[in-house]
Amino acid sequence: MAGDADKGSTTSTGSTKDEVTIGFPGIPSGFDPFTVSGHGSFVPLLYSTLVALDKDVNVVPDLATGYSVSDDALTYTFTLRTDAVFSDGEPVKVSDAVFTFEKIMSGASEIDLAVVDSVFESDGQLVIKLKRPRSTFILDVAGIGIAPEHAYGEDFSLHPIGSGPYVLEQYDVGQQMILMANNLYYGAAPAIKRAVFVNMTDEDQQLIAVKSGQVDITLTSATIAAANTVPGYRLVVEETVDNMGITMPVIPAGSMASDSGNPMGNDVTCDIAVRKAVAYAIDRERLCREALNGYGTPAYSENDGMPWWNPESVIETDVAFARELLDSSGWVDADGDGIREKNGQKASFPVYYFAGDSARQALAMSAANQVLENIGVEMVVQGAGEGDMVAMMVAWPVVLAWGSSNPITSYYLFHSASIGRDDWYDPESFGDAAVDAYLDAALGANSMEEAIPYWQKAQWDGTTGTSMRGECPYIFLANKDHLYYAREGLDIGDQMIHAHGAGWTLVANLKEWRWEN
Amino acid sequence: MDGMRLDRDCTDDDGKCAAKRGYTGEDGKGGAKLVSWNRRTGAAAWAGCIFALILAIYIAGALMPDGALRADFAKKSLPPSLEHIFGTDFLGRDMFVRTVKGLSLSLLVGTVASCGAAVIALVVGVTAAMGRRWVDHVVNWIIDLFMGVPHTVLIILVSIALSRGATGMLAGIALTHWVGLARIIRGEVLQIRSAEYIAVSRGFGKSAPWIAVHHILPHMVPQFFVGLILLFPHAIMHESGLTFLGFGLGPEQPAIGIILSESMRYISGGAAYLAILPGLSLVLLVLLIDRLGHTLRYLLEPKEAQL
Repeated sequence: MAGDADKGSTTSTGSTKDEVTIGFPGIPSGFDPFTVSGHGSFVPLLYSTLVALDKDVNVVPDLATGYSVSDDALTYTFTLRTDAVFSDGEPVKVSDAVFTFEKIMSGASEIDLAVVDSVFESDGQLVIKLKRPRSTFILDVAGIGIAPEHAYGEDFSLHPIGSGPYVLEQYDVGQQMILMANNLYYGAAPAIKRAVFVNMTDEDQQLIAVKSGQVDITLTSATIAAANTVPGYRLVVEETVDNMGITMPVIPAGSMASDSGNPMGNDVTCDIAVRKAVAYAIDRERLCREALNGYGTPAYSENDGMPWWNPESVIETDVAFARELLDSSGWVDADGDGIREKNGQKASFPVYYFAGDSARQALAMSAANQVLENIGVEMVVQGAGEGDMVAMMVAWPVVLAWGSSNPITSYYLFHSASIGRDDWYDPESFGDAAVDAYLDAALGANSMEEAIPYWQKAQWDGTTGTSMRGECPYIFLANKDHLYYAREGLDIGDQMIHAHGAGWTLVANLKEWRWEN
Repeated sequence: MDGMRLDRDCTDDDGKCAAKRGYTGEDGKGGAKLVSWNRRTGAAAWAGCIFALILAIYIAGALMPDGALRADFAKKSLPPSLEHIFGTDFLGRDMFVRTVKGLSLSLLVGTVASCGAAVIALVVGVTAAMGRRWVDHVVNWIIDLFMGVPHTVLIILVSIALSRGATGMLAGIALTHWVGLARIIRGEVLQIRSAEYIAVSRGFGKSAPWIAVHHILPHMVPQFFVGLILLFPHAIMHESGLTFLGFGLGPEQPAIGIILSESMRYISGGAAYLAILPGLSLVLLVLLIDRLGHTLRYLLEPKEAQL
């Protein structure tokens, strides 16, 4: 009997699922930790970072057991744990961290370490000296995966060695990657021992994979989720700061050209009355219902709900106020066609979205309907290719999505230094002396805590700011919930509030996933 | 001898009558004048009907206000019903309206692209047949080259080289579709060129260009128009295919290719009608135009009519 029981338990242990198959958009082309930030990438899975962010965006120790910051906020000292080893068995040394930081500073990376003056080892500790205080620096550190100096070479990107919870077992370019739990990981052993990531980018492909039971979890869209329930799977709805909004150029057409010569500005949206009227004329609850099938929440800023968010940026829908704004600034519908004019200029402008992005298209169209009905401003919603967008967006409103666990995004989005750079930041050409001062103060503050009031004032200080109550360069519409079909019994742990991008944010805490019995 | 007589008649008034003589002669010969006349009337009526229908689709699409394409979220994702016979999409837009607009756009694209292709074919075909031997060789070589490369690949290449979008696509279709018709025209011209009346005309001292314009081109009129119309369905299909693949018309255009590629996302979700009904409409339109082409052939080429 005992033997049988043992046998039974062995079989059940053997069949206890410790594997997960993930339908995943965008298998990376390599795993070099020096090129990408850990926020929204493979870094938290394969590598370990000095500090990490918990689900409430607090900085917690990871590879470093602790750190201290000097009073002038220019010197960061990290004490590294001694029990950490790379997956090849070599211990993680302070020199590896120095190597990592220097490598990032010298090469092309999306991590901006220009503020770092020097990195060195002192008394067995890692010391980083900054040129000037940078309140977001510790968040940058939380995104930097430490790589082994002894093993870093030419094909490291395809054969990565880290000290994170997982190691790369197999990688087929563009198709799949398989991660195995790292036996040498210093933290708690993950319950999921093997994770297969299958490349899956199309909504219908994802749905088919779930219907046929090929994957345990995958992404889906609001349109699909509203129309399909799949037996054996539950719909996971994760709240996000993945906000979608419409950028509104604030300068008149022809007033300047971008760095690569694209004409900038728009003669309708440069009028603050038009921008604010559009912002106040939209019922965002209705927007979420109509365009996102209820899988979204109203958005009022690029960082709703984050610690540095200013809750005063919330506005109430107020159609009467919006009409009054337009009336008093001379936009009236004299010819009775339902669209206002001023000095022969119609209150009409195109709004571009990425062709094929159904959520952005639906949001823009729903907003356009409301704006036309409520205040007689016409938004002509049109699709455009991603390649053309950067050139167009400095002159025309565009549906963009942001959302990040680092407030530096706000700096890039609204500081006057970002004007005309031909990148995704500040296509509105917004720049305001008061806002610049707040943003500079926030970024240059000694700590996250000190910076928060400045980040908030940049959004709304009582008289001006980047929010829709202030200068309104950006019509925020909705935070799009991230939606997944997950097999019954798969527990995906406590997820941090999701940033933009539904893939990596989901698996960032893979080590906390498990199968319920 | 017959040919000579006709030729002499024709050189007096302008050469157009060559074509006319061509069929009146045949008609008279057959002794089945009544029957063929009725068939021709029937064919003409048939062609008229098809043409009117196609024109109606075009005008309906062109006149439909853009407002009809505005999203109406109260009516989103409805299956086909009496009110919306093709159903509505995820934005609540009526799929029938979108389809008609798409077909109308396809017709426009088809007209421009196939006219371009037919003109190229005529010029190339006549040049090849009338010019010197080496010209003929070169042209034949080019034709073989174009035939050797798969159509779709060639169109995509041309379209990308000419900055994608509508212009690139039109050029791509025009530059790839002339080949077949050019061969037919070249063959026809070679045949006519060896006719006795051409030799006689040359004997009277007429120059090669004069002969081409007065004796050859008029005979090409039926070939040209029938070929043009039969190119039409190809052009439309390629336009939709190219747009479906993302190389053709812009995503804001109400094109059938866009509708189809959009709808692919919903097929697995159970809304297959979003793809099937517009797709069928496109096939029907293409079949209609094809029929128009064949009917016109009866009218313009009496030989065909009597078969």
